[in-house]
Amino acid sequence: MKAAELDQVYTELCYTLNAVGEDKTPLFLAMLSLSLMSRLEDSAEAIALIRQAWQQIDATG
Amino acid sequence: MSMISLPEHVPVLIAGGGPVGLTAAALLARFNIPSIVIEADTDYCEGSRAICMSRRSQEILSWIGADKALVDKGLSWVGGRSYWRNIEVLHFEMPHEPTQRYAPMVNIQQYYLEQFIHQALEQSQPNSVYWGHKVLDVQQTATAAQVLIQLPEGNTQTVTADWVIACDGGRSTVREVLGLALKGMQYDGRYVIVDIKQKTQRPVERLAWFDPPSNPNSTLLMHRQPDEVWRIDYQIRPDEDPLEAVKPENVLPRIQSHLAMIGETEPWEVLWISLYNAKCLSLENYRHGRVFFAGDAAHLVPIFGVRGLNSGLDDVSSLVWKLASVCQGTAADSVLDSYSIGRVAATQENIAYGAKSTEFMAPPNRAFELMREAALRLAVVDKSVASLINPRQSTPIVYSTSPLNIVAQDQWFSTLAQAGAPAPEALLTDERGQPRYLTEYFGKEWVLIVFSQPALTTTLRQTLLNLPWQVVIVGAEGLHDTYQQVQERYGFAEGEQGLILVRPDGYILGRWSGLALDTCVNAWQNKGF
Repeated sequence: MKAAELDQVYTELCYTLNAVGEDKTPLFLAMLSLSLMSRLEDSAEAIALIRQAWQQIDATG
Repeated sequence: MSMISLPEHVPVLIAGGGPVGLTAAALLARFNIPSIVIEADTDYCEGSRAICMSRRSQEILSWIGADKALVDKGLSWVGGRSYWRNIEVLHFEMPHEPTQRYAPMVNIQQYYLEQFIHQALEQSQPNSVYWGHKVLDVQQTATAAQVLIQLPEGNTQTVTADWVIACDGGRSTVREVLGLALKGMQYDGRYVIVDIKQKTQRPVERLAWFDPPSNPNSTLLMHRQPDEVWRIDYQIRPDEDPLEAVKPENVLPRIQSHLAMIGETEPWEVLWISLYNAKCLSLENYRHGRVFFAGDAAHLVPIFGVRGLNSGLDDVSSLVWKLASVCQGTAADSVLDSYSIGRVAATQENIAYGAKSTEFMAPPNRAFELMREAALRLAVVDKSVASLINPRQSTPIVYSTSPLNIVAQDQWFSTLAQAGAPAPEALLTDERGQPRYLTEYFGKEWVLIVFSQPALTTTLRQTLLNLPWQVVIVGAEGLHDTYQQVQERYGFAEGEQGLILVRPDGYILGRWSGLALDTCVNAWQNKGF
């Protein structure tokens, strides 16, 4: 995905999250993550991304 | 600043003597169209205000001879760094290369810029700025506008103007008396803008901090200016009273905390404090009969991405050559409508980019806040998301919807050089072996670029002499394309011949493969010239 496209979908996601509301945001993001993961080439890629996100939450508090 | 009496009639009256209005006057003077500038204030602006001048703005200022003073005094820069807490998450550079004429951006206090433009105007058209004069009313007939002006002594006088350019800023009087209103939206997030004087050894870059330890949960921007001045912008909390937030006792501790964090320990003092919130507002049309709107009078765009003053200069660069052509009887009135069409579209693009920057710099709700935190945390290790942090700095707009564009009939290799795009820069070598930039030829006349490796026939050369355009021959004769920049950027194949017709504001009107001059001239005439 090009930077301009990433920018576009980022904004789309922000607007959608706002419409979804804070209560349902974790559920929404979990559903979206599942959809995105299922479209990856293999599980190794998904596991690497899961670990990366976990480490960044862990490392940065 | 000597005071002379107002004329009864003037071809063009410019309301507002800020950088946009002064540039409009200086550009008109290049076309020998007399104008006067009516400015309510008695001197240049207070506070440094707009500080980042784009490459395109530097080119426009070169047309009036104000570029050298700007570049000499200003601080040129090419990129910046963004930090999340105190970790660098983005190092960006705007497009630049060693052969370029101007840096992508130069920082200058607005009052210096106004001074440089005014000095250039004094050279070409002395004593045409009426300081301390206020426009009170504008009445239009089919052939002229009657402008009621209040003199510094308090009495009034009416000036008849063939045309009016309203460059009188965000609170435009001309806009108000014409009963027009800006439309759009504004963001709640407020920023305090502070200039301080402090010595520094830091390179000139755009610096941004998100949630820095010095000011947790805030966003803070820093830019260097000449005279050892820092511009510092920071976001205040939603629950803060803006009037309290701009009091020095509330500003100084935040600044001190940040300067200490980044290791800037020289003594410092505050020069200027202001308050800002991002707005996306525009008139629907920039032409109303004999009145044109330009700059903040026409549109207010978010500061993030520095599209405010830069787009104002683009407004007048697009307007003045059209107005001058109509005044001189060499263009149809309809050409003036293309000003509004092109620049309203430009504002929409500036607003789209500016809104995106604002949504990152000042998240409008919890969803944007959450996503920004995710992007910043991830960008520490995952560079694929770092582009989201990029501030989307001002770039020249392509007039893709301009009615003047002549759509290419042939296959071209370069999308850079399409009709409606700013004509790409190229470094060339003249017949004496001296370096010449292609953009040096822009800004006044129509320019026909003739690209031809084989020498031109005598007949063709004769025809070129009779055209009402400046002809720039690039190839075997004339200018040498030493670095193949014309060939690459304009999309010519090896050995190909072609014509590019460039508008007086440096934008491409049309392009033709081969040297069919008749086709080119006919297409130009059909556009109202």
